[in-house]
Amino acid sequence: MRTLKLAAAAILGTTALTAPALAEGHLPIVDEPLELTIHMHWARAQGYGPGGDTSKIYPVEEVAREKTNVHLIDKTSGRNSTDQSEAMNLLLATGNLPDIVGGAKIKQPVNEYGPQGAFQPLNELVDEHAPNIKAWFDEHPDIWKAIQAFDGNVYYIPYLPDGKYARAWFVRQDWLDALGLEQPDNVDELHDVLVAFRDQDPNGNGEKDEIPFFVRDWEEVLRLLNLWDARSTGADVYHQFYIKDGKVVHPYAQEAYRDGLANIADWYAEGLIDAEVFTRGSSARDYLLGENLGGMTHDWFASTSGYNIALADKVDGFNFIPFLPPKSVSGQRIEENRRIPMKPDGWAISFSNEHPVETIKYFDYWFSEEGALLANFGVEGKTWDMVDGEPVYKDEVLNSGQPVNSQMYLEGAQVYRGYPQDYRYEWQWTRDSARKGIELYDTQDLLVEQFLGVAFNEDEQTVFDKYYPSIETYMLERQQAWILGTGDIQEDWDDYVAALNKMGYEDVLEVMNSAYERQYGG
Amino acid sequence: MSNDPNFTGAGGPTTEELVFDAKEAQRRRKPSTMQRVGDHMKREWQLYVMLVPTILWLVIFLYKPMYGLQIAFKDYSIFRGVANSPWIGLEHFQTLFGNDQFIRALRNTIIISFYGLIFGFPMPILLALMFNEILKQTFKKTAQTIVYLPHFVSSVIIAGIVITAFSPSAGIVNTFLGALGVDPIYFLTKPEWFRPIFVGTGIWQEAGFQSIVYLAAIAGVSPTLYESAVVDGASRWQMMWKITLPSILPTIIIMLIIRIGNMLEVSFEMIILLYQPATYETADVVNTFIYRQGIQGGQYDLAAAAGLFNAVVAFVLVMTANAISKRYSRTSLW
Repeated sequence: MRTLKLAAAAILGTTALTAPALAEGHLPIVDEPLELTIHMHWARAQGYGPGGDTSKIYPVEEVAREKTNVHLIDKTSGRNSTDQSEAMNLLLATGNLPDIVGGAKIKQPVNEYGPQGAFQPLNELVDEHAPNIKAWFDEHPDIWKAIQAFDGNVYYIPYLPDGKYARAWFVRQDWLDALGLEQPDNVDELHDVLVAFRDQDPNGNGEKDEIPFFVRDWEEVLRLLNLWDARSTGADVYHQFYIKDGKVVHPYAQEAYRDGLANIADWYAEGLIDAEVFTRGSSARDYLLGENLGGMTHDWFASTSGYNIALADKVDGFNFIPFLPPKSVSGQRIEENRRIPMKPDGWAISFSNEHPVETIKYFDYWFSEEGALLANFGVEGKTWDMVDGEPVYKDEVLNSGQPVNSQMYLEGAQVYRGYPQDYRYEWQWTRDSARKGIELYDTQDLLVEQFLGVAFNEDEQTVFDKYYPSIETYMLERQQAWILGTGDIQEDWDDYVAALNKMGYEDVLEVMNSAYERQYGG
Repeated sequence: MSNDPNFTGAGGPTTEELVFDAKEAQRRRKPSTMQRVGDHMKREWQLYVMLVPTILWLVIFLYKPMYGLQIAFKDYSIFRGVANSPWIGLEHFQTLFGNDQFIRALRNTIIISFYGLIFGFPMPILLALMFNEILKQTFKKTAQTIVYLPHFVSSVIIAGIVITAFSPSAGIVNTFLGALGVDPIYFLTKPEWFRPIFVGTGIWQEAGFQSIVYLAAIAGVSPTLYESAVVDGASRWQMMWKITLPSILPTIIIMLIIRIGNMLEVSFEMIILLYQPATYETADVVNTFIYRQGIQGGQYDLAAAAGLFNAVVAFVLVMTANAISKRYSRTSLW
């Protein structure tokens, strides 16, 4: 309660002081330069400065300082670790929080410790002082619900990715052509194609060494479950709960999963799926494509289509292209994996921040048209120009030989502050083959609703923590065993369900659904 | 006899006075413990200065963190801090022991450690004895360097080597088995193969380095013993059996006690790198359980409870081993 009071007092105090200058959206935010300290820890930079070098200032930050008069000063904890959760825990344990706490994976800690008083609730601040943030969330009410803590307050402004697709189905079109086959349109045709890849020597080296279906992360094998109308996950990470008929359930406790996994086990036994799928690891794609061995995969649009250029000289006729997800046994065509519309990354206002109003106005700047362009593309005139009302990267950025995102990270754009990403940024440097694939996927209605997660109260969290980690361990253990042919899922199913219930699956569902009701219901 | 205990029947000193005098005299002759330590410190102050960093290290890294152990009995919140989190008694321990996976992890830890002890402990001793028998110095040095090397390689690299070596398609092990007409085995997904592979890897990685201690002990054996044995016509085998081994036995026993104390500290980073859900059945140990449940799940209080339990078991083990050793071999850590 201490911070609620504190925040309320701060709001009242500062509102009174700044009220005369409160013409909304006007810049600069403050007349005299205001310094705010920030914790900014994310994968590309541990610290608020280019590549984590806090002795330098991002070009984007320089412009933002000029426009807003707010100066962000780095005060990042755990800079010698690349683990964001570790850095956040370190920061919280010191109890000495900078004004702004930002970076990757902040949703869980912010929503857990916000209600305990570590962060200020933003609801009223946004309502009163952040017209751009408010306008964005008025258009996306579900995302506003998804970022709430269990007490109904919002404690952070998220990074909001743009764009729809993430991973897609890819096939060696040149192999299909060599064998006189069509792209598989349904699950049976997919099976036939994989069998043909296995038996008919599409790489033409006279050896039966082809690996029909391979993946980098073994969990991607589970996407095959979609072909039997089962789900592998409900979100953009693996093994998550999903929404079925308005209730939260776990995909690995559904009957469709039983039948789907039984078929995956058969395909594995038939040699259609990479025998070493569990240990091959991240180099699988490099190795199997480079050695002309792999026929089909499910992987990221952008990076996977890049192999057509990288391997053009090495593998004769190499043509690895996206194709539509095959129809399931019931005739449904879905692409389960998509970009999540809101990330657990962004920034929050700590309890010790004495300028919450100025801070939320500063956060709001990055949601304004001008601020969003700065956050997405960098400094105008330096990395991009406005051409016919569209932001267009300069040639030297597009053709520098460095990926555009890496360049942006050093400019201070695409940093994990809370801001709406603009897909036009990525489209400009997406390769033609990937663009064609995205356009192909856009011809169909493939995407399914994402489960954006729930915020537990302390009691629910206790139940979840007590039961769920063991349940997931057990699910994955059995899953791998069945795929590898140790045990038969059809025979073991009743025992499996009984074991899940004994481990508290029903209790977990109960807290999941009560939290879900509270957050999204009504 | 009078009832007065001080009655001596004469005007001389009472019994009490006599006892007091005697003690005083003794005290004057033999300085107090404090005094003796003080004198010693004055005389050997350099030694004590050298001790300071170790004591600081112990206090800062081992004793001070013990303050945090109390979170094993608390509902710990990072933001509230250790002191302000509410006490909840033994709830975390009840949660742990109510969890079949923790019991399984405990069993796996003990089995893996036991394998490590049976197969891993004698290896460095054997290696040291073998090195000692090598007469050609260049060969000895080269062989030693080669067996030390894996110790200095990071676990991630070792795991990569193991995964590749046991790969069903390209691995050297399956290539060899294939030559013998055996079908390829996907070793790293088979629960029954996990422990042999893990323990074997550990031995391969550490045996060479651990043999250094025994080599040093062997170097300390008096050459006169060997000389007289040669005069008596003893074979090399007899010398090793009757002189070398008994001479390094105290070292072996000390190392054994230390090893038993560390028994529950299975090198879990290697397990995390090598295990799969498919092999959890035999591979999941207490530390990997703590890692998954506690650290990844953010349940530091539960992890602390499991860690504390680990430490208590290790303490009991080391006390027992020490007591047994003291009783039967007169060698002990303290």
